[in-house]
Amino acid sequence: MAVRMRLRAFRLAAWLGWQMESNWTDPWLFAVYSIIKPVSSALILVVMYYVVTGGQTQGDLFAGLYVGNAFFMYVGQLMFGMSWVVMEDREFFRTFKYMYLAAPSIYWYLTGRAVAKFLVTSLAVAVVLGFGTAFLDLPLALGAVRWGYLAAVLALGILACVAFGLLMAGIMVISARHGQGYAESFAGVLYLLCGVVFPLDVLPAPLQPVGRAIPFTYWIEGVRRALMGRGMSPSLAGVDDGAILAILLLSSLATLAVAVLFYAWMERIARDRGLIDQVTEH
Amino acid sequence: MNAIPDGRAREAAVLAQGVSRWFTDTRRQRHQDGSDAPAGPRRVVALDRVSLEVQPGELFGLLGPNGAGKSTLIKILSTLLLPSEGTVRVAGYDVVRQAHQVRRRINMVSGGETVGYGILTVRETLWMFSQFYGLANGPALKMIDEYLETFGLADNAHTRVNKLSTGMRQKMNFIRGLLNDPDVLFLDEPTLGLDVQTARIIRDFIRDWMRRRPGRTVLLTTHYMAEAEELCDRIAIIDRGRILACDTPDGLKRRVQSHSVFRIEAARLDAPPEADGRWPGIERISWEPHPATGRTRITVIAADDAAVTPLLADLRERGADIIHLSKVEPTLEDVFLQVVGRGLGEHSGA
Amino acid sequence: MLEELERNLRAVRARAYVRVVGTFRELSWVAFEIAMPLLSVGAYVFLYRALGAPERYIGYVLLGGAMTAYWLNVLWSMASQFYWEKQSGQLEIFFITPVSRMSILAGMAAGGMFMSTARALGTLVLGSWLFGVQYRMEGIWAGLGIFLLTLAALYGLGMVGASLFMMYGREAWHTANLLQEPIYLLSGFYFPVRALPRWLAAAAGIIPITLGLDAIRQVVFPGAVDGLLDPGLEAALLAVSCAAYFVLAHAALRKLEDLAKREGRLTLRWQ
Ligand SMILES: Nc1ncnc2c1ncn2[C@@H]1O[C@H](COP(=O)(O)OP(=O)(O)OP(=O)(O)O)[C@@H](O)[C@H]1O
Ligand SMILES: [Mg+2]
Repeated sequence: MAVRMRLRAFRLAAWLGWQMESNWTDPWLFAVYSIIKPVSSALILVVMYYVVTGGQTQGDLFAGLYVGNAFFMYVGQLMFGMSWVVMEDREFFRTFKYMYLAAPSIYWYLTGRAVAKFLVTSLAVAVVLGFGTAFLDLPLALGAVRWGYLAAVLALGILACVAFGLLMAGIMVISARHGQGYAESFAGVLYLLCGVVFPLDVLPAPLQPVGRAIPFTYWIEGVRRALMGRGMSPSLAGVDDGAILAILLLSSLATLAVAVLFYAWMERIARDRGLIDQVTEH
Repeated sequence: MNAIPDGRAREAAVLAQGVSRWFTDTRRQRHQDGSDAPAGPRRVVALDRVSLEVQPGELFGLLGPNGAGKSTLIKILSTLLLPSEGTVRVAGYDVVRQAHQVRRRINMVSGGETVGYGILTVRETLWMFSQFYGLANGPALKMIDEYLETFGLADNAHTRVNKLSTGMRQKMNFIRGLLNDPDVLFLDEPTLGLDVQTARIIRDFIRDWMRRRPGRTVLLTTHYMAEAEELCDRIAIIDRGRILACDTPDGLKRRVQSHSVFRIEAARLDAPPEADGRWPGIERISWEPHPATGRTRITVIAADDAAVTPLLADLRERGADIIHLSKVEPTLEDVFLQVVGRGLGEHSGA
Repeated sequence: MLEELERNLRAVRARAYVRVVGTFRELSWVAFEIAMPLLSVGAYVFLYRALGAPERYIGYVLLGGAMTAYWLNVLWSMASQFYWEKQSGQLEIFFITPVSRMSILAGMAAGGMFMSTARALGTLVLGSWLFGVQYRMEGIWAGLGIFLLTLAALYGLGMVGASLFMMYGREAWHTANLLQEPIYLLSGFYFPVRALPRWLAAAAGIIPITLGLDAIRQVVFPGAVDGLLDPGLEAALLAVSCAAYFVLAHAALRKLEDLAKREGRLTLRWQ
């Protein structure tokens, strides 16, 4: 019974999220939207690479950073998407308090709202990878991809994304409007610490253990191995594929547990201070 | 004490001539029965050739049901919306071409609206708005403090706006409307959602303000009959974008004084019968069912007392119990029924 | 005349006050606004390190990162603000007051500038210290001058944007959101804009940041020979675009307010 109610909240939220993602304009513009933004950010990296190497795109470093950047979009989008729900529902539509009254589980509601983001981001990831293969000599051959491993890694990675999204949503519950930038900033920090566009070994020594404690480090490395047969960071070369998967599983679950507790804690603070329906524009 | 700029003393405070306003709904209309919609945008007429003249010093009321066009008219008068046709002058200036001049002399308060930034206190918010009218800090703060005192908000002067109750917020918004000491003040349902006591404070203030500042004009919209009757020197009844009558409250009431007005309370009346010409001598009839009590309040405007008898017989025949019947002095509500053809509480199922 | 000026200046100050006070009453921003942008710019620094890029590229990235603070402020705290204020019913109240819309926008900009500057300085100063960036000391004043010119032009552009937000609301919001990354790319926030095809870089010059960044990089970093145009010429172009944007903003705000009033969109919410 309780499970059915939660699934219903999830489904409703997913539908709502889809309406908002897709409703604002016609399908053509919608496609442009989910292509232009991600390809542009990928091109920033490409141009940076070009400027220094003088036009080379062969080499493990390029492939590693390109793929890492593409998949990291899930982190940014889901974290932003889930936390933005709080802001948008509360300040813009003024419905957040009603969601609290109506939805049997706010966790399932927030996660459901992220489904549309997941779908749109998947399209963007595919487009960016396709673009790289077609125009930038990205060594990606569909025949050589280890699909089973990719599926397992991807699923766990998304779980970690949801956990981080929930963490950000928790922060949003007690923040004012300008907190809308927090998720993006936080994603930027993860981008730095998880060796997304450079080998983990390039980070200063004190930061490397921090990177190694975050699930996304293993996720991105696992995706690289599944897609191209090899990772990017020498310091992770000793960790075999199974171990990557195991560490990813454990760290994702741990993050999720922390996130749920954290959200509940923030929610208590918000209810205590009467912030659930605050409107903070200035 | 002369509030009207020299040379304009004879100008009306508000002068609207043949003002219409329509909105085109560009989104395609989806018909519920799935039938083919006629191609092309749908046009909603919010105001239909409205003409109006309000003199300086007048407290003028616009009375009408939801969707009548009251707010649309106020928006046009306060330079937020352009008329589709017609000319409008406020405080002697044209609202389309001389908006800036108009803005210096008016202010507007809409009831039920949140204004201000949650992060600021009440006093800061009002100070901020005073700056938009170029008031010097000292006098502005002095005036704000006085108004806060008058409206019983002094204790909340340093409360953040997002912590105020609805009524407090509305009082603050009302004070905001007074900051530039406007020549013409537009009040769009200023007591919407307020409790009886707070609404009273606001009404008393309006009257007092008008008395202390001769030459100031207030144009107020409302759908509370009592408010219109109590406050206004003159009232225009507006429905579906048209002004149907415009007179003093007494003048309006005189229109029904030659008639007999009855109030009937009936129980167990399932559906009101079709009225058209069924009962000779009955000019208007309105049905207000109260689902909670199961009773229906019926107002009848008839040419003479005898005309009501066939109606009563008809009701009994339908199995209704007549709980109460009385002949009453006409109120504005009855004027509304007489002029508009349906009661203010009734749906406008055209 | 004088009265008009005083009223507008008071409006600027009052609107800026809201921002500044708001900032101080929500002090949680300090960590996020100063530390986080620096850390995310850090990823690009380490990418350049991993690629073995010349040292001045680190400075390029930090400068670009600092500029994002202003770009974000202009776009999301000024241009789009009319859209938010329309949603909250505030816009009507501002628009019945006898002050110029540009004063209201200028107030927002001035108030937001405070926070943006804190963020930009955080990135630039801390980043330069952490990564050991070298500057050409004799170019600092010229760099600062070009920076101020860039900022003026940028805020002019933001006012043009505000008129579009006022009229088109959600669509404008989505368009601005759509253009965010392409502009980071085309304006060369993280690499010398000369790396792009010339015609593309020239087209990107309509965004003041493109020319501004390119000119500042040339004057403040040693060995920066990878500019698009001569920095003096770029400064002149910035001055011209600054004037042009303010004239355009004035006209656009007037025109679109009129249009919005005609179509009844000025007071229309939830669109
Ligand atoms: N911006 C707009 N676009 C389209 N239609 C509008 C717009 N503003 C008002 N209308 C329509 O104009 C008509 C009159 O609306 P208006 O708000 O003036 O009524 P009102 O008398 O103030 O009603 P209420 O008592 O409910 O406030 C309504 O049918 C409304 O739907
Ligand atoms: Mg109204």
